[in-house]
Amino acid sequence: MLMRGSHVIAESAIRAGCRFYAGYPITPQNELTEYMAGAMAKVSDATFIQAESEIAAINMVLGAAMTGARAMTSSSSPGLSLKQEGISFLAASELPAVIINTMRGGPGLGNIAPAQGDYFQATKGGGHGDYHSIVLAPASGQEQADLTVKAFECADRYRSPVIILIDGMMGQMMEPVILPEPIDPRSLPPKSYILNGASQRPSRFIKSLILDTRDMEEHNWKLQRKYESITRDLILHESYLTNDANLVVIAYGTAARIAKGAIKRVREMGLKVGLLRPISLYPFPKGAIVELSRIVKHFLVFEMSTGQMVEDVKLSLEGRSKVHFYGRPGGIISTPDEISKVISSLYYRQNLEEEQ
Amino acid sequence: MDQVANFDLFASRLADRSEYFSAGHRACQGCGEALAVRLICKALGEETVIANATGCMEIISSMYPTTAWGLPWIHVAFENAAAVGSGVEAGLKALRRKGRIPNREVKTVAMAGDGGTMDIGLQALSGAMERGHNLLFICLDNEAYMNTGIQRSSGTPMGASTTTSPAGKLSYGQKTWKKNMPEIMVAHRVPYVATVCPSYPIDLLNKVKKAKEVKGPAYIHCFSVCPTGWRAASELTIALGRLVVETGIFPLFEVEDGKYRFTVKPDTLRPVKDYLKHQGRFRHLTPDVIEMIQQGVYHEYNKLQDKVDNLHAWSELRKKPHAR
Repeated sequence: MLMRGSHVIAESAIRAGCRFYAGYPITPQNELTEYMAGAMAKVSDATFIQAESEIAAINMVLGAAMTGARAMTSSSSPGLSLKQEGISFLAASELPAVIINTMRGGPGLGNIAPAQGDYFQATKGGGHGDYHSIVLAPASGQEQADLTVKAFECADRYRSPVIILIDGMMGQMMEPVILPEPIDPRSLPPKSYILNGASQRPSRFIKSLILDTRDMEEHNWKLQRKYESITRDLILHESYLTNDANLVVIAYGTAARIAKGAIKRVREMGLKVGLLRPISLYPFPKGAIVELSRIVKHFLVFEMSTGQMVEDVKLSLEGRSKVHFYGRPGGIISTPDEISKVISSLYYRQNLEEEQ
Repeated sequence: MDQVANFDLFASRLADRSEYFSAGHRACQGCGEALAVRLICKALGEETVIANATGCMEIISSMYPTTAWGLPWIHVAFENAAAVGSGVEAGLKALRRKGRIPNREVKTVAMAGDGGTMDIGLQALSGAMERGHNLLFICLDNEAYMNTGIQRSSGTPMGASTTTSPAGKLSYGQKTWKKNMPEIMVAHRVPYVATVCPSYPIDLLNKVKKAKEVKGPAYIHCFSVCPTGWRAASELTIALGRLVVETGIFPLFEVEDGKYRFTVKPDTLRPVKDYLKHQGRFRHLTPDVIEMIQQGVYHEYNKLQDKVDNLHAWSELRKKPHAR
């Protein structure tokens, strides 16, 4: 089916059993909210709410998650800033939720063009306290469908907020997609923690306030153990032409697609360049990068920001290889031509054509 | 040419001829909001600072590096025009007190759309009104989130179809009544609350001038026709602004010190159908929904009439502690 990215995510979410959606207008993610308004009306047990603010929307999702529903909200960069308190509460209360961030140029109100400046906010916690959200970064229509389903599964399995990072380009671009098979949310395993009345059983409670410092420490370590198991199980990445590469470009989302086009061009010129595309940004595919560094001595990180993921790449490599960076912040979409020039000039400057 | 000459003769006495909101902004054809802002700026004059929330008005008037604003103007986030306005007012007051700036009255004005006033901005607005800042807040109400592509807000009227309250087989569109924002402001006991519409320019100018003179918080609710979002012909902007008043859907009144007064009062109310039929957002409505809207309008209008007839100014109540 030929669909635009934001519609793909919305439709895939409903098919993945999402029965609660709360949104608030902000460009460039309105198509998702609008699609949900129409599509959820047709699903008998689904609820669509246009909230009065982003803060209300994320906390409605928190409420819906407490009742056991698969719940989702979506917004764009400034809206995500408002949602951070709610995301911190979701993480602390160990509640599942899926949050779509259609990133735009920032900081401040910025603009509405595609950008990747929210990497830190998404992967490093973003709100207050010691926590992480699982962060997935699709780079095609099909991946948006698949990762949306995966996001709901991971959210339930790890009882954690999951953020899908896209940008206006991913959201607007129309591509052929095979949509996932719809599932009946009633077929999902029952959740042991939900609040749904207390008839014939003791009442439960969900909270994130733990005043006793030792209990709070234990809760923090418990969350940390969860993140360690997520890091073990959930890493996703794509390698493209890395086997014989002297230089590997690392990029995600829209930037990775541009980089791929650039690599095709420089390969035609005989340059041995590959691409490593992290699909999960948290957990970060550290192992794959370390593995590559046994052969590859030069990495080029390309981001549509002033350089955020590049820090994770450097932390992964711990000095094993050289890390170069090229960034275009503020909503500039580079052309593959531009990136191929960046790649080739770096390639020749580092004399990589002589390496074997 | 004759008409222009007449304008010079008569209208110049009523409206300031200097322009503070210039042509060349990027509003849609027939934008009621741009018209309103132009008039509002005339009434406010040069000694003004405006804090403008995100929305149509900010986007169309300040596309970097150009600006349509001839008045000091700051663009802020969606939720905080009233809070930033509070800060501007308090800051000016402090600087005046310390003698750092000349001791003259500069009016602080906060502007936001219906979403920035009634939805996400309500908390900040309520706080500013309650604290009693010398702040004029103007809501430019075009009855939906037009800037992001016509999503419903709590200012969207019953029955209107928007992208997030779509009309179809399962729904007749917006299913809640429009939030009564002026009443919420009156409940904050602010000294001056008024409703305006640029189709009644002199009424608008008078009210903004009056609000400007108020020492304390004031609230003006401006009904702004949006041909794009309402799916209406752009040449109908003025006509729709008049019809909404003539049908009683949006009565023009002011509340001074708790005393209600109609400023424009139609002899008899026209049926709401006259107003609804020009707009694509209401095209799907069936006679029974129109009748429900009609009854809703009568109900609200009668409530307002009752207040106009019976409520006293708060200062009078203080003189008669046991009145009523």
